[in-house]
Amino acid sequence: MNRHVVSKLGLALFAVLGALAVTPLFFIVADIYIKGVPAIVKLGGLNFLTDLPPAPYDERGGIGPQLVGTLYMTLLGALLGFAVGFPIGVYLGEFRKEFFASVARAGVNILVEFPTITIGLFVYTLFTVFAGGQLNEWLRGLAHSLAALVGDWARQFVGPLGQFNAYAGSLALAVVMAPYVALFTASAYASIEQPLREAAYALAGSEFKAVFVVLRKAVSRAVLVAALLGTAKIAGETAPLLFTAFGNIYYAPFTEPTAAVPLWVWYAAQTPYEVQIASAYGASAVLLTIVLALFLVARLRGG
Amino acid sequence: MLDVLLLLLPVTYFVSAFVLTLIRFKVGIRLFGLVSLFLIAALVAVFLIKAYPALVRYGPALFTTAEWDPVREKYGLAQAIVGTLITSAIALGIAMPLAVGAAVTINEFLPPRLARLFASLVDLTAAMPTVLYGLWGLFVLGPALGAGLTSLAKAVGLDVLVPPYTLLTAAVLLGIMVTPYASAVIREGYALIPKVVEEAIYSMGATKFEAVVLKLRYVRNYIFGGLFLALGRAMGETVAVAMVVGGNFSRFTTTPWESGITISSLIALQFPNAQSYTYMEPVLFADALALAALGVAINAAALYILRRWQI
Repeated sequence: MNRHVVSKLGLALFAVLGALAVTPLFFIVADIYIKGVPAIVKLGGLNFLTDLPPAPYDERGGIGPQLVGTLYMTLLGALLGFAVGFPIGVYLGEFRKEFFASVARAGVNILVEFPTITIGLFVYTLFTVFAGGQLNEWLRGLAHSLAALVGDWARQFVGPLGQFNAYAGSLALAVVMAPYVALFTASAYASIEQPLREAAYALAGSEFKAVFVVLRKAVSRAVLVAALLGTAKIAGETAPLLFTAFGNIYYAPFTEPTAAVPLWVWYAAQTPYEVQIASAYGASAVLLTIVLALFLVARLRGG
Repeated sequence: MLDVLLLLLPVTYFVSAFVLTLIRFKVGIRLFGLVSLFLIAALVAVFLIKAYPALVRYGPALFTTAEWDPVREKYGLAQAIVGTLITSAIALGIAMPLAVGAAVTINEFLPPRLARLFASLVDLTAAMPTVLYGLWGLFVLGPALGAGLTSLAKAVGLDVLVPPYTLLTAAVLLGIMVTPYASAVIREGYALIPKVVEEAIYSMGATKFEAVVLKLRYVRNYIFGGLFLALGRAMGETVAVAMVVGGNFSRFTTTPWESGITISSLIALQFPNAQSYTYMEPVLFADALALAALGVAINAAALYILRRWQI
């Protein structure tokens, strides 16, 4: 066979394989919106976002507690994950010539690939120690005085922690997010050109200001993208929440088992009840919209 | 008092790291560098401590026998380990050609603007919440695969009913999910091919296809690295697999078109029941320990191949 014919055929094969790699994405997105949007309309329209989830023989229902839980835990997890991940990334990027930085970098690389279910189990174990311990007595007192000070709503956020609660969920999400942010930050700092770095150190006064104020501005866009993509990632995580937030079907204080959209999808999709499966599809459409929006903003801001 | 200690240690650590970063920059920032190592050590230590009762009671047999009988407190994890190996192997068989195809498509065929769009789509495949893949596998992929394979078996004269939720369904789903991770690494290597190498290839009179094959051989380290990273992802993926794998906890099977279980999905599906039995929780922590050990080993291999400790 002619070499040029082989070439055409071979290239066509690569192109087909490449197209096949992204085809499932379209099927999945289409499937979720085609089944999810009518489900939302049928189950309550805009009320879908605030109502309690449907019981097996309900006609209507929503994902109110789930949405609140996901937003709260994602926000807390993202803040904590960023607060820890960013300095780690700065160290890995700015001091990359040190031997120890290579070791730490290998550690972060392993951590970012760590199965997220094991991180959930780890946080679960920590909180088994907390439940019924000394700290909870102090938290009970704190909640009491806070409630007297600012009103009873404080008890929604502070109080003795149950075995499963929103803070455990946030912690697990933060552990998932931190190494992710660290790696992005590290490569952003590593890509700063040497003259710029020297200028920053020469002018800033202290090393802290040089690295965290002057150089941060040079990489702010990449770091923002890292934060957004990391937030999108943890917003959809299910496995770390299984045994930390646990899920709930009511609005509950964040110190008790807390609902999350991915947890509801995981639970409701596996029930035999049509209305709950429909609500799982509706919840998926909402979750996908959140993740797509974060992803899109990250792409547009990052160029 | 253990809980107070557990809270005070990390809080003190992070506060001192932040304060030191402000006043003695180099000391503080190195404390941050240590966090990842402490965290890995803590993870492994917790799993070891929690798995200890099971490791003592069952010994190495825990990982070599296949049994799941909570009522008699008899457990073995071989079926989960073999299930993980089978699903990961099939998933990689699907993912690697797709990943190479996607990397070649992005770097060779598409004009820059379209290439960026296509690359974004591949990245989005990685960013999608895994539970959404599980939902799709549960209601679309699983039934389609089951029906398709059943009629295929009928066509060749076999009378088997392939269930919708099997190791194979999980593997196909995993293949789709891990493709972008492998593809990203291959793309990274592809972009680093020196211009002179490319010019040399074409100056020898290579056709475009021959050039692509030569370039892929040039970046083979990245392909292997991507393979290991994708393997690590495939083994650790939990929720999507648990939704479609069939949840067959006890029976040892090496047939992909039967329902099975994997290491990670076993935790997701059985942990909620673990409180009712004495040894189930330690066994599941031993399971998590095996998962962590496999993950660390595979990622260490990927790190070594890709020299990822440098930037």
